[in-house]
Amino acid sequence: MDKTQFLDELANILDEASVEDGANLRDYPSWDSLAVLSIVALADSKFGFTLTFPDVKGLTTVADLWAFFEKNRTK
Amino acid sequence: MKFHFKDKAITGMMVVVPEQERLFADDMRLFNAPENRSRKLALVMGYRAHRVVEAGVCASDLAEHGLRKLFDEGKLKSDEIDALVYVTLSPDHFMPPTSCILHGKLGLRKDCFCIDVTQGCCGFVVGLLQAFQLLDQEGVEKVAVVNADVISRKVSPKDRNSYPLIGDAATIAIVENREGAGKVFADVRFDGTRSMALKIPAGGFRQPCSPDTAVMSADAEGNERAPDNLVMDGTAVFNFAMADVPPMLADLAHDAGTDFAGIDKFYFHQPNKFMLQKLAEKLDVPYEKMPNNVVENYGNSSGATIPSAMALNDADVLCRETKRVCFSGFGVGLTYGGIVMNCGNFDFCETINYPNKGE
Repeated sequence: MDKTQFLDELANILDEASVEDGANLRDYPSWDSLAVLSIVALADSKFGFTLTFPDVKGLTTVADLWAFFEKNRTK
Repeated sequence: MKFHFKDKAITGMMVVVPEQERLFADDMRLFNAPENRSRKLALVMGYRAHRVVEAGVCASDLAEHGLRKLFDEGKLKSDEIDALVYVTLSPDHFMPPTSCILHGKLGLRKDCFCIDVTQGCCGFVVGLLQAFQLLDQEGVEKVAVVNADVISRKVSPKDRNSYPLIGDAATIAIVENREGAGKVFADVRFDGTRSMALKIPAGGFRQPCSPDTAVMSADAEGNERAPDNLVMDGTAVFNFAMADVPPMLADLAHDAGTDFAGIDKFYFHQPNKFMLQKLAEKLDVPYEKMPNNVVENYGNSSGATIPSAMALNDADVLCRETKRVCFSGFGVGLTYGGIVMNCGNFDFCETINYPNKGE
């Protein structure tokens, strides 16, 4: 999965038409435990790594999240 | 720990669910969350309806109801039960063991061995293994494995993370030696370093219930619960299930001389639809082979979910033919285990209601 696909998937999880690199994740109205779980599941199934709740807590923007996925991906 | 047994069989199964049904559409009104997000949650997790007991009903009441029905219908005789394995997280009392209470109420033989097992999500697997070990003793012919829980009584209705998925139930599995049933392969593993991921903080000796432990407070998402209530770290439990369960099951299948394609049906614990679908994808097992509909029909009743999944989806088939099945439970403990065995040709497999008593 490349960055464009990742952003589409994230937008879908957050019920948005699209998401912006610089946007704060917590500013999206649909940012909740379901959104976090969906992102954790995405990391597991499509990127092959275990994303934890504390990991997510340490990330602020959409770009931070993508950078974390890029750094830790095994597939 | 790995277990191997020979010629053990489940010969009958009964599921008892409370008559009282709660609908997610009604639960939703108590949550401090936007309605559209709650609807999406329900869609993803499979929340629709769940069965919960009326005030004051204990897990053993459901179990007693089911066992008496079996006695009344002649499907089981009270004097032929050689052992009662009672698996629960919701005992009637700290003292005495609930299995002893049932022993007295049901008039079981004095040499019927009674044991309570404190296990949750993996409770059916652990209970079956306990029964198989007892069946290896001379003279033991019939063991009743009862999984019963009424966890709804410990979940805050204002907790969107837990309340909509919780259900109450009791299940009874009759387990016997049966020549030619074949080998049973099992594995159960533990990770106590994460034992607090699923917990009820107060109510035991470490933190007894008090007026303070009943005080509700809201978490970051607006879920309100007290230390008397169940709390779970959903993300940690999900990661545990994805990371630890598949390798354990791959080892187990290998041990059993098969692979996942060689197994007809995967009856797994039912935490929610989402987690089961993700597990099926990870194991490369088609969704049809791994039922995930217990939460939407009855709710997650911890150790009782595996028999519930069997009776809900395959009652007829399991009475007619024998299948190669894989059971797996994972959660509270953290405990995770699996069994690969032949299963079917049951004498009975049914679901009954525990009737409402209130006005």
